[in-house]
Amino acid sequence: MENFLPSQLIERLAQIGEADIVVGIPSYNNARTIGHVVRACSAGLAKYFPHRRSVLINSDGGSKDGTPEVVLQTELETESLLLVAPQRLHPIQRISTAYHGVPGKGSAFRTIFAVARQLNAKACIVVDADLRSIAPHWMDLLASPILEREFDFIAPYYLRHKYDGTITNGIIYPMTRALFGKRVRQPIGGDFGFSGRLAARYLEKNVWETDVARFGIDIWMTLTAMAEGFRIGQSYLGAKLHDAKDPGADLTSMFRQVVGSMFGLLETYEEVWKNVRNSEPVPMFGLPFDVGVEPIHVNVERMIKAYCQGVRDLQEIYAQVLEQETRDGLVVCSRQSPTEFRMPDELWVHVIYEFASAYHRRKLDRQHLMESLVPLYLGRTASFVLEMQEADAARVEERIEQLCAVFEAEKFYLMKHWGAEARKESSHAKPA
Amino acid sequence: MQNLLEKAFVEPFQRLAEQLAAVVPALVSLVVILLVGGALAYATRRLVQRLLQMVRFDQFVAESGLAGAIERARLFRSPSDFGARLAQGVVWVFVILFALMAMPSEMTQSLVVRFVNYIPDLLAAALVLLLGTIISKFLARSTLLAAVNAQWPAARLIAGTVRVLVLLLAVVMALEQLRIGQSALLLTFAILFGGIVLAAAIAFGYGARDLARDWLQAKLRSRERETEETFHHL
Repeated sequence: MENFLPSQLIERLAQIGEADIVVGIPSYNNARTIGHVVRACSAGLAKYFPHRRSVLINSDGGSKDGTPEVVLQTELETESLLLVAPQRLHPIQRISTAYHGVPGKGSAFRTIFAVARQLNAKACIVVDADLRSIAPHWMDLLASPILEREFDFIAPYYLRHKYDGTITNGIIYPMTRALFGKRVRQPIGGDFGFSGRLAARYLEKNVWETDVARFGIDIWMTLTAMAEGFRIGQSYLGAKLHDAKDPGADLTSMFRQVVGSMFGLLETYEEVWKNVRNSEPVPMFGLPFDVGVEPIHVNVERMIKAYCQGVRDLQEIYAQVLEQETRDGLVVCSRQSPTEFRMPDELWVHVIYEFASAYHRRKLDRQHLMESLVPLYLGRTASFVLEMQEADAARVEERIEQLCAVFEAEKFYLMKHWGAEARKESSHAKPA
Repeated sequence: MQNLLEKAFVEPFQRLAEQLAAVVPALVSLVVILLVGGALAYATRRLVQRLLQMVRFDQFVAESGLAGAIERARLFRSPSDFGARLAQGVVWVFVILFALMAMPSEMTQSLVVRFVNYIPDLLAAALVLLLGTIISKFLARSTLLAAVNAQWPAARLIAGTVRVLVLLLAVVMALEQLRIGQSALLLTFAILFGGIVLAAAIAFGYGARDLARDWLQAKLRSRERETEETFHHL
């Protein structure tokens, strides 16, 4: 038993004994939306797993808006939700507990992993507390491949707006695919299903004081499962709609945590990704269907301005990290007119691979390194938005596939820079 | 006549021989000390360089941002080379002091004693300067990145100001440690620092009030635009 669990929770888990399915919901001030998530999960468990022992646990970060109370008091209204009387042998147990450790999503997940292990759960599901599009069938799609088909990790597959998820589309998905060879479309989707043995494996790792304890948890879970050879699939969940809660806020720290965690994992699993050559699709569950997505607003002008300022003001930092040719390419981009602004795929891939190598070789303080990548990411995002203005969803997917192909083709470039000699560092240390 | 010859030629040579007999052993000791010390200093340099490479000192300094300054100075190959040569220099200083101690002159000995007493202050001042340089570079880079990511137009100016102020503080502290113009320097720094803050406040409040208003308005507009954005990066 992990000693970080509160004694009250340990007692409650001892009373419950064992469970087949554990559903975890991390939260912080989500009183407005978590009721819907709890209802959808409970209805899904009642409908698809009526004979399984299920526990729903809310791992809360000290909400001030009564989130735990909402979790415990939400009425299930199962009959009206499912149109049938529930035939459950075991009632769904609901727990709300405060997690301990570094404040963040990863710490909340750690408590959920520990609960799953303590209850000897066969399958575990985690879903965000601010989801507006979650439906009962998500439980089936995330847990059944684990319970019935012996999969270990099920990633979500969503339909999203063409401009949504730009870190996923521009960095995480292409790089995950190129390096680890598995085409998991939403590696940081946030809503996952995984086996009890994978939860136990996660708990063995000593990462809970790093950015993994924050937003880095999603990429860490996915890459750990991939790199350690667990059986991976993905399930089609339809649209992903979040509660609109200041999405532009604190991009820098979120970016640092997610992309930095990924770069860190490249070190951990260096021997794995260096031996992967091509990528392959992973099994998909669920029936893909079209859904309408909400219109979104993107301020391209602000992004281009941020990019140009970064290229101008951060020259000295980029000189320590990037090759001369790459820096020249960035300067050329910054001189384009805002309407014709484009960043070529190859240039972007080189930027990411050179930053990943610099992270590995500690050319700069790692926090500074990741923060200096943000303006370039905004430039790439602006380029993508401008290029895809008139494109439909299928064309956007094609375009992302093209980018993935460049990431895969240029993998040798990362390998070349990854192992470069230290003397090379000083040869391009002077600013342009 | 014989007495005269003795006084004119023999006695001076005798005195010279006596003086040489007193000085030559000291000179021989000096040469031996310098030779052995030189070898010791060289060995120290090699040893320190190897130790610094083993503890990845170059990487640590690269992260702090000081490596760029060392490379730009073009005096040393790498931070570990710089550290090794510094250690060699320190050993040389001690060797020279030791050699001077071997001389029978009272003046050199009193000079050595005074210098030895001053060494702790010198080391403390050097440490303060080194830390000041590292901290100023780190803080300046943190400020620059925060300002660029917040899209402040004068990001480099702000970062440069932070660096100069921290460096200035380090220099004043180092000089105070060396007991050079203690009160005058402190006073100068206080006046300079206070002056900068006051000038900035006056410039911002009166001289550049239009600029301040425009900047604040632009910031508020940009904040409004940011919250208008409804897409998720993840």
